[in-house]
Amino acid sequence: MMSKEIATFSINGAPYEAIVEPQMLLVDVLRDNLGMTGTKRVCGAGDCGACTVLIDGKPIEACITLAVAVKGKSIETVEGMADNGNLHPLQQAFMDYGGTQCGYCTPGILMTAQAYLEENENPTRREVAEALSGNLCRCTGYVKIIDSVMAAAEEMRSKGAVK
Amino acid sequence: MTEFTTIGKNKTKPDALSKVTGSCIYTEDTVLPGMLEGRILRSTRPHAEIVRIDTTKARALPGVFAVLTHDDCPKDKWTRSSMAEALPAAAFEGEAVLDQYILSEKSRYIGDWIGAVAATDVYTAEKALELIEVEYKDLPFVVNPYEARKPGAPVIHEDKTQNIAQAMDHEFNCGDVEKAFSESDYVVEFAGKSSRQKHCQLEPDVAIADWQKGGRLTMISTTQGPHLCKKAFARRVFLELKEGDIRWITPYLGGGFGGRLAFNVEPVAALLSKVTSKPVRVTTTREEDFAGWGARTEQYQTMKLGATKDGALTGIEMHIMSDSGAYYSHSGTTALVNMQHTLGLFRCPNIHGDMEIIYTNTPTSSGFRGYGNAEGAFILQQGMDMLAEKAGMDPVEFRLRNVKEVGEPSFFIPKALEHCALKECIEEGAKEIGWEEKWKGWGDKKTGRLRRGVGMSVMNHASGAGGFLLEHSNAILKMNEDGSANLTVAPSDMGQGINGALCQIAAEALGVSFEEIHIVYGDTDTSLFDIGSHACRSITVIGNAVIDAANKMKKRLYECAIKKFEAQGITVKEDDLNVLNGAVVIKSDTDNKISVAEISHDEIYNYSAEGGHLVVTGSYLPQAHSPNFQAAFCEVEVDVDTGVLKVVRYVAAHDIGKAINPQSVEGQLEGGVVQGLGFALTEDFVVDEKTGRVLSDSFATYKLPGCSEIPEIKSILIEDPTPFGPFGAKGVGEPGLVNVAPAIANALYDAVGIRINTLPITPEKILSALNTLAR
Repeated sequence: MMSKEIATFSINGAPYEAIVEPQMLLVDVLRDNLGMTGTKRVCGAGDCGACTVLIDGKPIEACITLAVAVKGKSIETVEGMADNGNLHPLQQAFMDYGGTQCGYCTPGILMTAQAYLEENENPTRREVAEALSGNLCRCTGYVKIIDSVMAAAEEMRSKGAVK
Repeated sequence: MTEFTTIGKNKTKPDALSKVTGSCIYTEDTVLPGMLEGRILRSTRPHAEIVRIDTTKARALPGVFAVLTHDDCPKDKWTRSSMAEALPAAAFEGEAVLDQYILSEKSRYIGDWIGAVAATDVYTAEKALELIEVEYKDLPFVVNPYEARKPGAPVIHEDKTQNIAQAMDHEFNCGDVEKAFSESDYVVEFAGKSSRQKHCQLEPDVAIADWQKGGRLTMISTTQGPHLCKKAFARRVFLELKEGDIRWITPYLGGGFGGRLAFNVEPVAALLSKVTSKPVRVTTTREEDFAGWGARTEQYQTMKLGATKDGALTGIEMHIMSDSGAYYSHSGTTALVNMQHTLGLFRCPNIHGDMEIIYTNTPTSSGFRGYGNAEGAFILQQGMDMLAEKAGMDPVEFRLRNVKEVGEPSFFIPKALEHCALKECIEEGAKEIGWEEKWKGWGDKKTGRLRRGVGMSVMNHASGAGGFLLEHSNAILKMNEDGSANLTVAPSDMGQGINGALCQIAAEALGVSFEEIHIVYGDTDTSLFDIGSHACRSITVIGNAVIDAANKMKKRLYECAIKKFEAQGITVKEDDLNVLNGAVVIKSDTDNKISVAEISHDEIYNYSAEGGHLVVTGSYLPQAHSPNFQAAFCEVEVDVDTGVLKVVRYVAAHDIGKAINPQSVEGQLEGGVVQGLGFALTEDFVVDEKTGRVLSDSFATYKLPGCSEIPEIKSILIEDPTPFGPFGAKGVGEPGLVNVAPAIANALYDAVGIRINTLPITPEKILSALNTLAR
């Protein structure tokens, strides 16, 4: 029997504890142990990006990341994007520009886009498309996803929100 | 032009907020107290008898509550397609349709469901699956439908003598095609095959059943048609249940695309819950989704077309051989719908179609966006170009010559076509792509390594299937004390934006603001009958039911307002009143008003008990035929050294009637086009003929279009309101996909002079055809 342990995580700025086994994946711990179902389980193979979360600010796929490997690290999920109920510009833009349809890819895309806009505050459409090329969407045809990210980037520049 | 307050505006969808904050609860996110986790045991053999299946070790594993096999299942056969419940009996004759058990007694494909486990958690359930011992006796198997239909092929269903599940003629055959071809100036023949496109909804198939002994069955699942599922469950699957014993809930769906017009894992969840008397959630992995069941039906099609010298179609003949996989599912209805749309699109006096459905030892087919129409368009629209070339006519001109006029039979031939803006679509689309400059005539030889070409395709699709499905839909409107209204409808939203659109329709029709409409959805206990979201039907059929409800509610509001005006000494009649901006107003003096909130409140908080809660139901059964139409044009660039085809620009001009929410309409078209790009170019579902194994069983081996691979897509919305749609609207879910493959195939021919007749159109096929051409 593999050993269980109580692991601590910093998730969206708050401390969490969970009983984890060595084989448990971060996506399962987030969803099943901690009830954070915003992070989606889709392919289980790191192929689609739907489970993307930020670990120390970098996008990683939670379905191919062992939970024990990110103990003590800073984890950001879609649930932490809004600030006290005030939506992040990306969230607002996805609502305003039709960037979400069924919504299953949305959390992962928001996470990837958030990390990308931190690096590049003034991207072209082409650059946004490249940045999101690891995130599959089966509904939108991507046009309105790119529209949404472009609009959010503009909003963030105008507000000086990007570092 | 009518001034609308809500219709035609890009209102934010009611589900958008929860979807961007991660708080939207899908079926897979749902947890019931005490819930067990269920998993399915899938066979590893393409065709085998199950000699022995021993569950002893699995049952002994701590945490396992149930291990079931075929012996534990009801012994009545059923079909996974819930559409069967909505079809007139005559259209669905034959025993072929009922060919499944919940868990199979034999393996008919690799992945067939032969056992199921319920345990405390997924890890334990998966461990238990490994402990089930199965002894197979392998049987000869057949993967190719041509081989499967030959006498002497291994018979897949024992109660049949061969693998032909069904054979039917097109219901609207007419004239004499042989005579027509013999008298035609030009005749062409074209044959080809569509592919098994996988839906790849991002949310995997999930079902949660709660069926405790002596209680009702509550099912929570990812289906597009909960009322039909409920009906089929009671009628076919668990005969001890009556319809009223079942409550079916559909949370928001993580994608549908036609693949959820059926049961998926629901019967297994129900059986596990029945046996354990606990809630059970059955989940599936992505690999199970690919190799399990449900993909677009693979159709082998042969077509013959004739025309006169001046370009009038004289006859169309079509034979379909459809590979249904191991079970029948949607294979028959998709072939019928293919024939309806493909043979009924253009004016043509002589029509013959027939179809055969063939069983093979491969995963079972399903419905998929376009539902036969996309399969047929790939053949018909290339055939039309071939005929135009023979006649020396421009493809645009040739199609315009054969487009039907209002009053002629629609694609569903007994019904007259009552509205059509296809000509305008063709003209506008051709202008946008620059057809006159870019199409340089038949036989125009391009040179160089990168060669460009343009192509087109046109289509029609049902917007509600009145005439061949039980189509009526219903809506309930209930006023709240604050003047807002709850709108209760049957289907969930699978991403297409139907909930928002129905709220917009209700707001406009009732005369209140969009924000005052609260949608209640996806629960058969609270909603009235509806056959689900498919066939571009929800916006037209449910939308009209919503308008009916709103009109009835207005009457109730007027009755109440008349009394209130009377109390003020003002005598008015119903005809004098209107609802404007949330108040009942006197038309001749709109400042004289009583708010809807006051009326709604006073009806409930009425201590003399003369009032009552304001609640009405609306219904609609479509009678007229007002399909949607689209003309698509694309420009491609072909690298003749590598065979790589790049779509440079794609234009789709769509007869939308009226866009309730233009942003959602564009989203449907763009999403459909990109799914069509995958169907046309990259999505290749491969079953190994030697082993029967699905080789494309992940996103790594089955290539969906990615964000960086999409061309510029231009959607043109032709707004010519149909009198039969709510505020003139037509459905828009399916057309985006249908034209893509044929438009690309025709552009490929224009660029380099080759025709590809099987999907997807890969660089390998292009290079091979170029080599043949060069020889």
